Amino acid sequence: MSLALFHRHVLEDHLSGFEANANPNHLSVVRRPAIFSVLAHRGQGAAVRTALSSVADTHIRDCGPEEWLLVSRTSGAAAVETGVAEIAGASHVDQSDGRVLIEIHGPSVRRILARCVALDLHSDVFVIGASTNALCCHVAVNLARTGDDRFEIVAPRSFAGSLFEELMEMGREFALTASFSRD
Amino acid sequence: MASLITCPHCGTRPKEEFSIRGAALRRPDPAASDEVWQAYVYVRDNPKGRYQEYWHHAAGCRRWLVVERDNFSHEVFGVVDAGGAAETKSQARAGE
Repeated sequence: MSLALFHRHVLEDHLSGFEANANPNHLSVVRRPAIFSVLAHRGQGAAVRTALSSVADTHIRDCGPEEWLLVSRTSGAAAVETGVAEIAGASHVDQSDGRVLIEIHGPSVRRILARCVALDLHSDVFVIGASTNALCCHVAVNLARTGDDRFEIVAPRSFAGSLFEELMEMGREFALTASFSRD
Repeated sequence: MASLITCPHCGTRPKEEFSIRGAALRRPDPAASDEVWQAYVYVRDNPKGRYQEYWHHAAGCRRWLVVERDNFSHEVFGVVDAGGAAETKSQARAGE
């Protein structure tokens, strides 16, 4: 028996056919990101953190002490895994199919997120490049600031639907639109 | 209920991110008697005032913390990582 496996994004039903032209406040869903969970072995935290920053085309997201997510939009999971596997003193798990990567940006992004994230997201406190695990719409996600008015959310796949619907609800007043990302 | 907890790893967070896991008691020796284990597992003082609790930062760094708080005035006196606290304790015991 042969199986024809094809990739279908978990938010396909929420987005396909509803995609509109992007307004200033826009939420884009990255179709196939590479996401790896990396844990440093005891006492190896600093060395692993340094080694992670040299894995090509990836961004580090802080989760907790000696624990990170390595996120890439451009590299495939196989390429990232090759880079991560070389790091001594760390264990990694491919989470690419287990997590969803959502980007939200626009002039009102902080007001939208203020409705569902109990964090101070002022740029003096949560600077560009900062990331942390937090609750967003009652879902435990990883939130990162990638620009002045630009945030990335890494959420568990099974919660992606409810998280997406709630974010859209929070952004309705600001005419938040959504689509799959073009790249 | 203390509504803001300053996690040593994540900073100040709302209590909704945490899961309270009960009084922070010292685990008995594995060879301790059944009575000691019975007391450790089931018997609680339920004090009014200042005491130590395990809090799990479930939606944040996922570390176990020891929160010292007053359950009457809601004041929080200190939050430390449970792993670090256990190590300090065992070092203190080794030094005794």
